[in-house]
Amino acid sequence: MPHLSVNPSSKPNCSTVWLISVLLGLLAVHTNANDVLTVPQQVSLSTNMDSQQLSISWLAGAATTFDLMILRTELNENVFYETVSVMVSQLSGRHEWNWTSVEPLQCTSLSIKIRSREGQSTSEWSNTEILQGSDLPSEEECQVFPLDRVVPVGANTTFCCIVKEGNQFGSINYGKTVMNTTRLSRRSYATTVVNQGLSGSSGTNVVCYNNFKGTENGVVVFVGYPPLPSDFVCETHDLTSADIYFELVTEPKKECRVDHWEGNWTLVVVNPLGQYSLTDSAELSHRVTPVAPENLTSVAHATNATVLWQWKYDGYSSLALVCQVELTSQGYKTNHTFSGVGLRAVVLPDLYPYEDYSVQVRCGAQQNFWKWGSWSETMSFKTSSIVPEAPDMWVWMNKDYTGQVIWKPLTRRQSRGLMTGYEVTLWSPEESLQHTEILPPDTFAVPVNLTQMATASSDNMVMATAVYTDSGFFLFWQSDVNTTCAYVVEWHNASCKWNCPVDWIKVAPGNTNVSIESANFQPGVRYDFSLYSSSSEAPELLQRWQGYMQELANLSDPGSRSYTVKSLSEGSYKFTVKAYTSAGEDTGATASIMLEPFTDWLILEILASLGVTALFLVIVTFLCYKKRKWVKKAFYPDIPEPKLPGDWSRSQAPLDVKPPHHSLVHMVERPEWDSSKEALVVIPEEDEDEDGQGIGDELVDTDEPTSLRYYNQVVDERPIRPRYPDSSDSSASSLDSARTDVTYTGIQTSGSSFVFQLDPQGSSEGHQPQADPSSVQEEGEVTGPRCNLESLVMTRAQRHPILFQSPRLLVATNPRAPGKWTPRWTMGKVAAVHPLLVPPPQLLPLSSSSLMERIIQRRNDSPHHQQQHG
Amino acid sequence: MADLEQREQSPALDSPPPGPTQTGRAVSIARLLHHECGLLLQLYKEKESFLSSYSPDGGRMVSPSPVPQEEASGEQRVERLHAALRQCLGLLHSVLLKEEDEWGEQEEDYETLKKNVRHRLEHLLLSTRGLLEGPDTTLEVTPDHQGTEEPDGAGGLFGLKVWTYRVLLELHHWADHAAETLHVFHTERGGAAVL
Repeated sequence: MPHLSVNPSSKPNCSTVWLISVLLGLLAVHTNANDVLTVPQQVSLSTNMDSQQLSISWLAGAATTFDLMILRTELNENVFYETVSVMVSQLSGRHEWNWTSVEPLQCTSLSIKIRSREGQSTSEWSNTEILQGSDLPSEEECQVFPLDRVVPVGANTTFCCIVKEGNQFGSINYGKTVMNTTRLSRRSYATTVVNQGLSGSSGTNVVCYNNFKGTENGVVVFVGYPPLPSDFVCETHDLTSADIYFELVTEPKKECRVDHWEGNWTLVVVNPLGQYSLTDSAELSHRVTPVAPENLTSVAHATNATVLWQWKYDGYSSLALVCQVELTSQGYKTNHTFSGVGLRAVVLPDLYPYEDYSVQVRCGAQQNFWKWGSWSETMSFKTSSIVPEAPDMWVWMNKDYTGQVIWKPLTRRQSRGLMTGYEVTLWSPEESLQHTEILPPDTFAVPVNLTQMATASSDNMVMATAVYTDSGFFLFWQSDVNTTCAYVVEWHNASCKWNCPVDWIKVAPGNTNVSIESANFQPGVRYDFSLYSSSSEAPELLQRWQGYMQELANLSDPGSRSYTVKSLSEGSYKFTVKAYTSAGEDTGATASIMLEPFTDWLILEILASLGVTALFLVIVTFLCYKKRKWVKKAFYPDIPEPKLPGDWSRSQAPLDVKPPHHSLVHMVERPEWDSSKEALVVIPEEDEDEDGQGIGDELVDTDEPTSLRYYNQVVDERPIRPRYPDSSDSSASSLDSARTDVTYTGIQTSGSSFVFQLDPQGSSEGHQPQADPSSVQEEGEVTGPRCNLESLVMTRAQRHPILFQSPRLLVATNPRAPGKWTPRWTMGKVAAVHPLLVPPPQLLPLSSSSLMERIIQRRNDSPHHQQQHG
Repeated sequence: MADLEQREQSPALDSPPPGPTQTGRAVSIARLLHHECGLLLQLYKEKESFLSSYSPDGGRMVSPSPVPQEEASGEQRVERLHAALRQCLGLLHSVLLKEEDEWGEQEEDYETLKKNVRHRLEHLLLSTRGLLEGPDTTLEVTPDHQGTEEPDGAGGLFGLKVWTYRVLLELHHWADHAAETLHVFHTERGGAAVL
């Protein structure tokens, strides 16, 4: 390792001279450098108060690196001190550098000085330039800065308060919040508000208070959002001009008009925080929203009406239109659609005569339908009247062939106009004499005397019973297949014998039953029902019924205290007794009884049957005992014992049969099976797939020969237990061993016992709940079709609350739906109402505006929407 | 104001001096105006909470031509009141316009109350004119902007809020003064006490 050493024996004078030379050289270089670094001259300041930017320029020759120092003049506090690289501006020949202050530049005076630097060498400081603040003693009043600033939500802004000369500073409030402050000078105090929230409609007050809590002064700051227009769309109503619509947040829908259809539009909405542009383009024919039809008129007839209207613009005469006509009558609305070129009249068919209608019309373009136009004004009309429908009439005949012609009042629609009267004509087919009578419109019956014409109706016809059901009296009759006439069912109070108030109903041909329901039916009143054939000939009585809606016994003797009802069949009955006076009836008292069969006779019949049976058995036993030898010979003859060569031991063990390897064994139930013979059917393996459907895989272990144990006349009643392949219990089951034991018990249909093996999944679902109830709930949540979403969520919520909450948060906090994020829209209101925030929207043709060109150049890839924040 | 003029016809030139009914009605209107001005002032202070600690300096914003009170007749006092109310109406109109320019439509209850006060003040002006007009006098009921203090804009929006507050204070003061002056005038005319 080299080291320095002083050797007295060497040449000391040379070394000293060399060292001195080096030092002198360094000194010369340093002296020369000071000569090169120019002290900045003519330092100049300019300000932009809104942006709080200080522009500093100076002359410093060729130097490119400078030290800049900015101090608060009064307190001599360092605000900025950095070395910066600044080139000479080619335009002005000066060095120029910009600095943005955190505080408004008016808050306090700033001192600025600069020196050149080259490496470690620096020039002298320039003369100090002072930017005068508003806290000079000459400005005595309290001031707050910045004045009326507009900033976006989330911005940070520093405010300062210069207290009134002579007053003491108290605090700065942002809204209602007392802020922490920093002293900038004798009278100036600053505070920084971070992450500013949305302002109210009149901005947020920043207020400076003195030490006596008195308001000194303040400013208003607006915190908002850039504009966000939406629903920008252009359409035409007059087929010439463009009506343009857009929305600004919570503002009402705005619209403006351009005289000519440009085809392309761009809406630029600007406020101090930015601008937003929306474009729309379409052919005129694709954006036609017709105006409302005008001057509706009508030409109404009895069953149809022509509705006519006019169009405001001539261009509609060649426009293919589709129009909706909304027709209102009696509170019901129906829509009819018509189409045609220049449509201005439609015919409304199928109207009711003498009916009030109101109508309104709207239309859309038939080709390239855009949207329906506005509804026209409502126009009313009334259809004219025509002859009424034929009344539904009937004739009531008394025993003496007098009677009355009766008919039902016509409804308003049946009358087809204002009823003026009825005309009743009476004639006999045999005679040409007619008798006609004109009756006022409120007449619905007229007496007749048919003694000369009538044919007696059959009073001998058997009366059937009409049964009253929930849907009325149900009447049924036999129909003659050759008869196609309609029917009339007439009914009236059976007690009435003279000019009865009869009611009737017409039944269409082919029907053989009808339910008669009427609000006039009364309990305890017997009604007669008559079925007539209805044809061009005189009605013919076909059948008659009598019936009660509710049968009541009528005790005419006020002293009666009992009433006997005879011939009742078995069943339950309710009896209600009501007292009548001249004023009416009371609510009645009800008693219920049950008629049951006579039970003593039944017991006697059973005992007699048992006695006869016992007697028969005793006789048979006695006879068998007497003839027992004959019986034994006839039914149980002795069987000779077989004689075999050799030593054949007799065994009681069952006969084991081993089918061939890989054979499948099925027991088949045969209908023709004889109970005295057992059957084993061996099915070849190749047949299995056709009808076994894999049963063999579960039934038989084909690796081992299956042993069929055959018991003659022995029935094993034990149930075959399900097989669980993994169950420890399975070893105890004869079915679970590799050697499958099938116990044949005659016609034993053991298929049901194998259900668990046929459907292993089903078996696990069916049995696991018994072992572990909680696990089946888990399964049910995931796969069970009966599990609904609510139970799924709640169960998971109980086990894993976070899983429940997460989706809720995701749904509730989706802010990306444009226009649906409340804060932004609320902001927009502020932006929209403040003239500083929202200059009038500019609607610019794409081709003509230089601003538009600049916007297009700045547009991103999105062809329709672009947001540009200032 | 043209519509206002039409709404209430001027009394006929040869009509008799106002009776207790007219003066009593004017007192009622003035009291109602005073009540509504108080509500409006309260609402504005709630809206701009910094005003609770703000003490306006300076004198009255409304300064009708001085008439020595002790020497003035009842008609003169009412006439002076009428002039002050016209200035108040001028200030209120300025508030409405400037607020509309700066803030647009504000909270509904505040906007409604402002309009109510304006209509009430216009009604009171018509009533006081009806009390004074005779064959030789014709009084205006239009807003008077002469001599009233307007914000210079240097104070910014905060200055506008302070000025608005001062206007509302002034309205409250003159409504109170109107109720008092008209009540005295009413009693001088022999009217009964107005509840």
